[in-house]
Amino acid sequence: MRVLTSLFVATLLALPAEGLDAQMQDPEIGAPAPSFTLPDTYGQEHSLADYQGQWVVLEWLNYGCPFVQKHYRTDNMQSLQEEYREKGVVWLAIVSSAPGKQGYYPPDEMNAMNEENATKAAAVLLDPEGTVGRAYGAKTTPQMYVINPEGVLLYNGAIDDRPSANLSDVEGATNYLVQALEEAMAGEPVSQPTTQPYGCSVKYEG
Amino acid sequence: MALPGIQHISPRDEHTEPVGPLMNYTLRPAQRFLARTMVLLALLVTFQGPGWATALTAQEDDPNPHSDAWLVSEVQSVRPGEAFTVAVRFELDPGWHNYWRNAGDSGLPTTIDWNLPSGWEAGPIQWPYPHRIVAPPLVDYGYSDEVALLVDLTPPADLSPGSSVRLGATVNWLICREICLPARGEVEVTLPVRSTPPEPDPRWSELFRDTRTHLPREVAGWTVEAELEGEGYRLTVRKDEQALSLPDSVYFFPAQKSVLAHAAPQEATYEGDILRLTLSPSPYAQNPVPVLRGVLLAEDGSGWDSEDRTPALAVEAPVQGVEPPGPTQEGTGGQVGREAGPSGTEEGASASPEGLAGGAGQDADTATMALALVFAFLGGMLLNLMPCVFPVLSIKILGVAGQGGADRAAMRRDGLFFALGVILSFLALAGVLVALRAGGEQLGWGFQLQSPLFVAFMAALFFAIGLNLMGVFEVGASLTRVGNRAGLSGGPGESMASGVLATVIATPCTAPFMGAALGFALTRSLAETLLIFGILGVGMALPYVVLSSAPGLHERLPRPGPWMETLRNVLAFPMFATVIWLIWVFGQQTGITGTAYLLSGLLFLSVAGWLRGRWPRTDLRSGRVAGILAALVLVVAVGMGIRGSAMEGALSQAVEGWRPFSPEEIRETLEANQPVFVDFTAAWCLTCQVNERLVLSTEDVQAAFEARDVALFKADWTRQDPEITAALEELGRSGVPVYALYRGGPGSSEDPHLLPAVLTKEIVLRALDEVLSSGTGAPVSSSPDP
Repeated sequence: MRVLTSLFVATLLALPAEGLDAQMQDPEIGAPAPSFTLPDTYGQEHSLADYQGQWVVLEWLNYGCPFVQKHYRTDNMQSLQEEYREKGVVWLAIVSSAPGKQGYYPPDEMNAMNEENATKAAAVLLDPEGTVGRAYGAKTTPQMYVINPEGVLLYNGAIDDRPSANLSDVEGATNYLVQALEEAMAGEPVSQPTTQPYGCSVKYEG
Repeated sequence: MALPGIQHISPRDEHTEPVGPLMNYTLRPAQRFLARTMVLLALLVTFQGPGWATALTAQEDDPNPHSDAWLVSEVQSVRPGEAFTVAVRFELDPGWHNYWRNAGDSGLPTTIDWNLPSGWEAGPIQWPYPHRIVAPPLVDYGYSDEVALLVDLTPPADLSPGSSVRLGATVNWLICREICLPARGEVEVTLPVRSTPPEPDPRWSELFRDTRTHLPREVAGWTVEAELEGEGYRLTVRKDEQALSLPDSVYFFPAQKSVLAHAAPQEATYEGDILRLTLSPSPYAQNPVPVLRGVLLAEDGSGWDSEDRTPALAVEAPVQGVEPPGPTQEGTGGQVGREAGPSGTEEGASASPEGLAGGAGQDADTATMALALVFAFLGGMLLNLMPCVFPVLSIKILGVAGQGGADRAAMRRDGLFFALGVILSFLALAGVLVALRAGGEQLGWGFQLQSPLFVAFMAALFFAIGLNLMGVFEVGASLTRVGNRAGLSGGPGESMASGVLATVIATPCTAPFMGAALGFALTRSLAETLLIFGILGVGMALPYVVLSSAPGLHERLPRPGPWMETLRNVLAFPMFATVIWLIWVFGQQTGITGTAYLLSGLLFLSVAGWLRGRWPRTDLRSGRVAGILAALVLVVAVGMGIRGSAMEGALSQAVEGWRPFSPEEIRETLEANQPVFVDFTAAWCLTCQVNERLVLSTEDVQAAFEARDVALFKADWTRQDPEITAALEELGRSGVPVYALYRGGPGSSEDPHLLPAVLTKEIVLRALDEVLSSGTGAPVSSSPDP
């Protein structure tokens, strides 16, 4: 039944996004992650299907958000991006801010912001219409997802257990993303597959 | 790795972490304006990047933007031991809000950190009910315009009347409209201590009264029950008293995080005096909660008591069918902890090799050095198998055979001196290299072959050796003793010379391992560099030392005889092959005219050799004439070589499909998200040529490059090129070949995947697969595949 539901959801998502915009789907853990195709800041398209066979991390991003800045200014996010890239994980940052809202930048400016923040993500994908954000039920920045090589969603939630914008809270926090990745990549079940994400609201259109 | 963002941290930091009195909101307006202007100026200067919303910039210096906070007391004085209520009062700019205890889908609850004299106790925050902040598809719970959070404070009983107490707190809240800003305020209030019953402060009585009407309360006459329904919950509200009436519209604010879906509609069904509310679970819920806590708000303006004065009903309903957390669940928690154990151990284990490679202090450094020495040794041994060394090795083996086990001691001595020659010349090369680099020259391994003159000399030397082996002429008096050429047991000097020769010839062939070891060596101190080069020499000389001193080995070699003359002649051919290679290198450097000069030089060299061979006896007149003629011809030959060396070749001829090396162009290509493959090569690098011919230029590999739209760059190091030397250094190498594959896209220029020095089609295709399919840089592997 779950599979059927997610197939249905996936079919819906494959349809043109009109009429779905205002709706939010919360993707199911253990079911295939919603498929998507988004351009990166260089105009190159990335599909989830491209990364079949690899671990994928999705990071919802808004450089203007203090909660995101907390993890970028402390180099926490970049360190994780680098660490897991070295372990073969494809790390995609997704910006669902609508044009004119915080966190939205045209591709060129986004590149400048990427450089400014020294991101180590494999790509920064632009989702100005919020279609993919809604498909994933992305509510906050940051919000993290882990997808296994079979394309199954294994984690959806916060980056760590310290919901604050305080730079000093990075150290000593239990990083849920790391926990999920380490458990999942070791073949163990993820002990906390969902946690309440914290941060700024994703600045969706409307 | 450089973090470009780092220099921008301080000005922006001040808005997340306002510390120090200067940033306190108690600043007078003039100071505030000044501080704001200064920070703005600093921002304009340091932060040129596009992007930051102006609304954000304008608030950089303000610890509590768009809002203010105060601490107020309900009473005018404190009575020892008697609890009273204070309020942290917020005023928020229109459109901005801060958050309830459960902030909803985003946002952050306000926190109060008390700074109270000892003996004081602060109770929990009493939160007025919030309102829904709807920003589709999200729903947050918070406050707008004005709000006060109440806290009961209990002073110690031993306060002395007549004194006064200062009560302080640090309040952190998040203030959001379209965007969110963290805010912070130091709030305080000073109250006198009196033994008389405290009087209410008339300034705040309305505030406290209003706020209390907004606090959720339990109201007698209502029963609220919770049960699981599907994966969510059902809340059943029952009226037990006739005087009460159910509100027409209700909303349940869950006080717990991760329990309910905040944006989901709450379906209400009325059935007489019973209201049922269907609540959807949070997508982040782990397990059903045993108790559902929250606030049931009458949204129609009515209330839950008979006078309609309590709009918010406090709910704390045990969920039927869900076991409260007991020992069993705690056991599960423990299990989780234990499960996390192995991965923690694994992390520890995987961390240790890193520690070995470059972690803690001197031990690790020593370990790194030891590893480099091992690589240098292995690399040295492998040099013997390189095509450019093999001819020399052949001569040495011929020498061993030629001695036929006659003089074991002499052979051992020969081996040792050969080794000495090899090691000394490695040291000399290292010394020269270090000295030249210290002088600012952009040089790397194989640098001597970047000089056409040196190449010409080498070509002439090998040509002469070839002629000699062919028997065109003999050197010295030993006309008949085959095998004594190139310094066999002719004495320590000649043995050493052959070692030097072998080393010099070996240098162009940067064997696998050596590139890395040398790159490393050149980053070390002079002593360490020399040590590494020395070990390299030891590695290279070792096989011959073993060969020459192993007892009984020569007994297995065939006895000397006429076959040796044949072998000697045959060995001339690899020499001539080497000459062809050197001429080809020379041709790359100097062009076809230069090559013609060198070939003419070789012709004159052969004439000189023939003269010398035809009339060898210098004691005869014919011999003397021949000697003089030979010397003259030799001078012409040298002149030719030098003349040829001065020629400029058309080096950077575009090879089809390959672009000449240009850091700018590579950067641009990467930024355009196109993958890049750089072939660091040189005409004199045999390994490079082999790789290019047998792997890189094959149809399979070219097709794979094309399929993945890889931009190909050739960094030709045949002649000295500071840009390429610098690029090699950045990759941690000091010689060619080096093959770097860049993924393309942001940041990829710093993350090349280095291929091994010896390529196969499989290695290249697999690297293309791994690096480019994943869209992520695979771990850099510098060591070649076995």
